[in-house]
Amino acid sequence: MKLIQIILLVGLLATLISYFRWFRSAAADKLLIALILLSGIVFVIFPELTNKIAHRLGVGRGADLLFYLAIIGFGYALLLLYSKIRALEKKLTEITRKQALDEVKK
Amino acid sequence: MTSSPIFVIVPVYNEAPVIEQTLKDLLQYDYNIIMVDDGSTDEIDKVVKNHSLTLLKHAVNLGQGASLQTGMEFAKKSNAEIIVHFDGDGQHKAADIRKLIEPIIKDECDIVFGSRFLKKKSKQNIPFVRKIILQLARYMNWIYTGILLSDAHNGLRALNKKAMNEIIISENKMAHASEILYLTKKNNLRFKEIPVTITYTDYSKKKGQGIMNSINILFHLIAKKIDS
Repeated sequence: MKLIQIILLVGLLATLISYFRWFRSAAADKLLIALILLSGIVFVIFPELTNKIAHRLGVGRGADLLFYLAIIGFGYALLLLYSKIRALEKKLTEITRKQALDEVKK
Repeated sequence: MTSSPIFVIVPVYNEAPVIEQTLKDLLQYDYNIIMVDDGSTDEIDKVVKNHSLTLLKHAVNLGQGASLQTGMEFAKKSNAEIIVHFDGDGQHKAADIRKLIEPIIKDECDIVFGSRFLKKKSKQNIPFVRKIILQLARYMNWIYTGILLSDAHNGLRALNKKAMNEIIISENKMAHASEILYLTKKNNLRFKEIPVTITYTDYSKKKGQGIMNSINILFHLIAKKIDS
């Protein structure tokens, strides 16, 4: 197993676990996004850096490494959005139900 | 409202063409009828205006699960002893309700499910494709809930006080049928299946569950597992 495989697996698991256990606070989300953006800026300024890190991890090119990481990030965003939609749906149901019960016609 | 402690909840969504028929059947008996209009765009008010029933209206369409839960909350507040779920599309028979609530009145069960498959084969008269979907759904429910019913998606059910307090439907759409089963198992409710008649009209077939929606329900259930 290459190092990158272990890292991606850990990343995926961490995404899942953090999503369900700790990461649901808005502050933590902001921190994560800030971290991603900052590292993005660093990599844009020093593109060779990604290649170096990729080689260390056992990936051919820096771009490939970013691609793999993006997939994890994408999955995380999707889960986050999904949970938000579920929460909204729940609120909508509560409001609609309350109104129905308040305005009952007999 | 009548003084009957038996509340029949009829969820409807754009069911105006057949609702008159369903109501005529139901109103022969002395049950409290709670109709939940799930944001219909047709004029259900006009159709039900002359009948003695309680009408609850969702401002927007939420799904059958949500409608049943709204009806149940009203019934609970009105001191219902028994709640019956009854589809609005005319496929159920009001005469079956008496059989359905019997095990509850005798205190043998907390929840009773109607089943179209407990009848003699010759009397079932179920379209072939529907039969296959229902068989698949049965086993899907079994994997999900640990209960193997003979009929996975029958809308006719009866609940006693214990069951109506334990079963709070949070699946707004059609996955509520599996959710009810799941909560039955989780809360160790005593359950039973009773043979009921399902009438397949062209109308109810059109409104019924297709293959694509079965897949939809499966996804809802997986999402729910992840969610909880």
